[in-house]
Amino acid sequence: MTHTPLGIEGSYPLLYLIWLLPLAGAVILWTFGPQLRSLGGPVGAALVGTAFVAALVSWNDATQISDKLGGAHAPMVSWLPGFAFGLLFDRLALVWTLIITGVGFLIHVYSIGYMSGDRAFARFFAFLNFFVFAMLTLVLSDNFVGLLIGWGLVGLASYFLIGFWFERPSAVAAARKAFVINVLGDVGILFAVIVIVTKVGSIGYGDVFGNAAQAFTSGELFVVCLALFVGCAAKSAQVPLHTWLPDAMEGPTPVSALIHAATMVTAGVYLIARCAPLWTASAEARELVGVIGALTAIAGAVLGIAQWDIKRILAYSTMSQIGYMIMAVGVGAFSAGVLHFLTHAFFKAELFLGAGIIIHNLADEQDVRRMGGLRKQMPFAFIAMLVGVLAICGIPGFSGYFSKDAILYGTLQHGHPILYAVGVITAGITAYYMFRLLFVTFFGQFRGNVDASDLGIRHPDSGTPGQAARLAHEAEEREHHGSGHAHAPAWIMSAPVAVLIPFSIGIGWLAIGGENSPWQTFFAPVFPAAPATADVAPIPELLSGVIVLVVVAAGIALAYLRYGTKAALGASVARLRAETMKMPPVLVNRYYFDAAIDALFVKPAAAAGRFFGSFVDPVVIDGGVREVAHSATWLGHLFRSFQTGLVRGYALYLVFGVACFVVYYAVIGAGK
Amino acid sequence: MTPSAFAVPIENYIGLSAVIFFLGVTGVIVRRNPLIMLMSIELMFNAANLALITFAKAWVNAAGHIFAFLVITVAAAEAAIGLAIVVVVFRRAAHVDVDEIATLHG
Amino acid sequence: MIAFWVLALALIASGVFTITASKPVYSVVGLLGNFVVLAILYLTLQAEFLAVIQIVVYSGAILVLFLFVIALLSSGVKPFDEGTNRLPRVLIPALVLGGIALVTIVFSAVRSPSPAQPSITAGSPGALGQTGEAGVFGSVANFGQTLFTTNLLPFEVTALLLMVAVIGVVLLAGDDVPSRLQVRERGTEREPIVKSGEPLTR
Repeated sequence: MTHTPLGIEGSYPLLYLIWLLPLAGAVILWTFGPQLRSLGGPVGAALVGTAFVAALVSWNDATQISDKLGGAHAPMVSWLPGFAFGLLFDRLALVWTLIITGVGFLIHVYSIGYMSGDRAFARFFAFLNFFVFAMLTLVLSDNFVGLLIGWGLVGLASYFLIGFWFERPSAVAAARKAFVINVLGDVGILFAVIVIVTKVGSIGYGDVFGNAAQAFTSGELFVVCLALFVGCAAKSAQVPLHTWLPDAMEGPTPVSALIHAATMVTAGVYLIARCAPLWTASAEARELVGVIGALTAIAGAVLGIAQWDIKRILAYSTMSQIGYMIMAVGVGAFSAGVLHFLTHAFFKAELFLGAGIIIHNLADEQDVRRMGGLRKQMPFAFIAMLVGVLAICGIPGFSGYFSKDAILYGTLQHGHPILYAVGVITAGITAYYMFRLLFVTFFGQFRGNVDASDLGIRHPDSGTPGQAARLAHEAEEREHHGSGHAHAPAWIMSAPVAVLIPFSIGIGWLAIGGENSPWQTFFAPVFPAAPATADVAPIPELLSGVIVLVVVAAGIALAYLRYGTKAALGASVARLRAETMKMPPVLVNRYYFDAAIDALFVKPAAAAGRFFGSFVDPVVIDGGVREVAHSATWLGHLFRSFQTGLVRGYALYLVFGVACFVVYYAVIGAGK
Repeated sequence: MTPSAFAVPIENYIGLSAVIFFLGVTGVIVRRNPLIMLMSIELMFNAANLALITFAKAWVNAAGHIFAFLVITVAAAEAAIGLAIVVVVFRRAAHVDVDEIATLHG
Repeated sequence: MIAFWVLALALIASGVFTITASKPVYSVVGLLGNFVVLAILYLTLQAEFLAVIQIVVYSGAILVLFLFVIALLSSGVKPFDEGTNRLPRVLIPALVLGGIALVTIVFSAVRSPSPAQPSITAGSPGALGQTGEAGVFGSVANFGQTLFTTNLLPFEVTALLLMVAVIGVVLLAGDDVPSRLQVRERGTEREPIVKSGEPLTR
């Protein structure tokens, strides 16, 4: 089989540069971190920025089209026939690369301010660069094995960064949890790769997609899609493998913004979009992924209502939004899903970075109940968050409106009215909890100096005992700082946010124009055309948009009535306290997913471990070894007892043996 | 006087040989005097020789005689070495009860 | 026939005397009788040369050697069998089994006579007269011819064996035993590496 890469064959040296610059940064920062001191951040940011510029310069090469093949391709090595490794830079990879390096660069710059004074300043940037490298490996690979390698490296980088503050037990636990679940996904992808190699005999995207129809039966194709989707679900926090994402907020806020909002968690979207030919060919896989995506969207949104930790609210909204994307690519609206990835990367990064400014200025306070009234103290953060919230809610004019609309209408176009309904409801819930966040955080009176028990924080609703202890500890620290000390963000932190604001508003405008929008034309050669049912949408797009808007407006109105009116703001302390007390346990405990996993897998595994540790190993294995040794000793004693040293004794044994022989032969002879 | 009147079945010789051999074995095991043990071994040699010569006669084949001759030679060598050992042991132990010489006891 | 039974009885009786005699000298006498009877039996089997050898080598050389050693060792020494009998208790079953083996051999030999040579004719007419001549089975000439032609190599090997025996005897019984050949002293037993009942690990 000849190897046919997706892109146009030919060496494209700049591609290696884009790919390896972040790795060089990681190596340099890791090796010379202590020497670079505070220079470490700028160096890391500069390398990622260079990669971004290189990716921009490559725009024409990435978008070139000839003979149905699109994009640049750089071969690397060929290991075995069918195992050719190379880099592919087509339109899909271009979008992701620009986001990874572009948003990544902004977050690097932001981190210079956010992480200043941290003991492991250079190590942080080394990890961040390593993450960018891993993510680029994932999206630039032209084959499934390269994808799998990138997939695993991304999980490793995520592990490093979640557990960056490894003095905290809760951070270590969260990192471990994230890693374990991600590895579960890696296993799924590995399985898919094995099936693919067995059936197709090649790992290259071009070969696999070109031969998928002949190589797989529909059942096998579904199995491959399912296995790939296990990886997607783990990486993109889809139900039921989502539990790691909220815990991952233990990492520094820039990490949450870059990895757990903008890029890594969308890897699942990338994979499904990349494997669009496979999904197009398997209706069952589309069904499954769409349903899971919708489920995740609404489950995450509902949980977002019940959170008090600002980063956890954003984490659940991330989970919910990725559910949207997965639903979109699942039902076949690939370009809509990718568009939502693009807009989400901007507005969610902005939300996280805005939250990071608040957290940073409030000395690591993350509980929204202890915020309030920050609009006047931090107007910049307020504007940033406001734009983000408007974007995520899908207010017309903001980017989220276009992408969300495209997704919801896409589900209708591909004939999934139920998923459409779920998506619309989710949009309403999203509007509700995001505006709740906005009102509680920025309006009313500052509650930082209100006693925690008055707010009902006696029972920390989310998180581990370690987190509660940390909250208490940080409350003490605030005493020393002077209570409620809030100050304007340094320019190094506000500048990246300021850059993100126009994108959060305007990036969605790419989709203006329906079928002939720049976005649609950009991806027209990449994704298969919408199926023939495209025209059977029961309602026109305009009406769909209006319905969504009405639901969103209802959500906003509800949030305003509950948190935004003058009366509600005046009595915010009592209200928050009552709400904390009355929070339904099923939401507080996040649908008991963690408890269920604990009971179903962790406890049995621990019990099995204890059983093996207390019985099998010491008694069976060690005991077996000891018994072997003892029986050797015993045998030795037995044989030793024959060694009497008496000559006559030896003669006796001899006679005994010879007599046995004689009798034996006599019996044999008698038998004849 | 027909030959059959004097005919001795070959089995008688073999049985006799076995009896003598068994006597030798018994002597080796029962007696504790190394000299008598060596003599019992000589008995066994001779029992073997008797069998060999009997078979040689039965099959009219001189190889049996040759073998018996070799056995006699080996017996001579064995007796010489065995007696030398007895002498050496006697020099060291002052008495020659084989049950007392059990240095190889494990 | 009668001669055979007489000889056989004499042979067994002398053998029994050999192994039951209280003193080694008596044993030697018993053994001497045994050898003489055996030599006569060899004659009935047409093995003239071996009969002579039996007398000359066994009685004349080996038994005399025994006597020398007895004379050497028994001057002023307590009887050999004085110590405790340390033979294992398997003696009885072993002797029983040995007896069974003996009976089995005798019984099998009697039960299945050789068809080719049903019996051995001792003292048949002209037997002695025939055996002395060359080319006749059992004659000295025939034996010598076989020994020095067909079986020359075994004969030479015998010479080698005897030489080795001589060297061994000289080394063993010589006055100046080289020190490195001396046997270990008794009582210097090694400590057991692993004591019984003791766990190997921990």
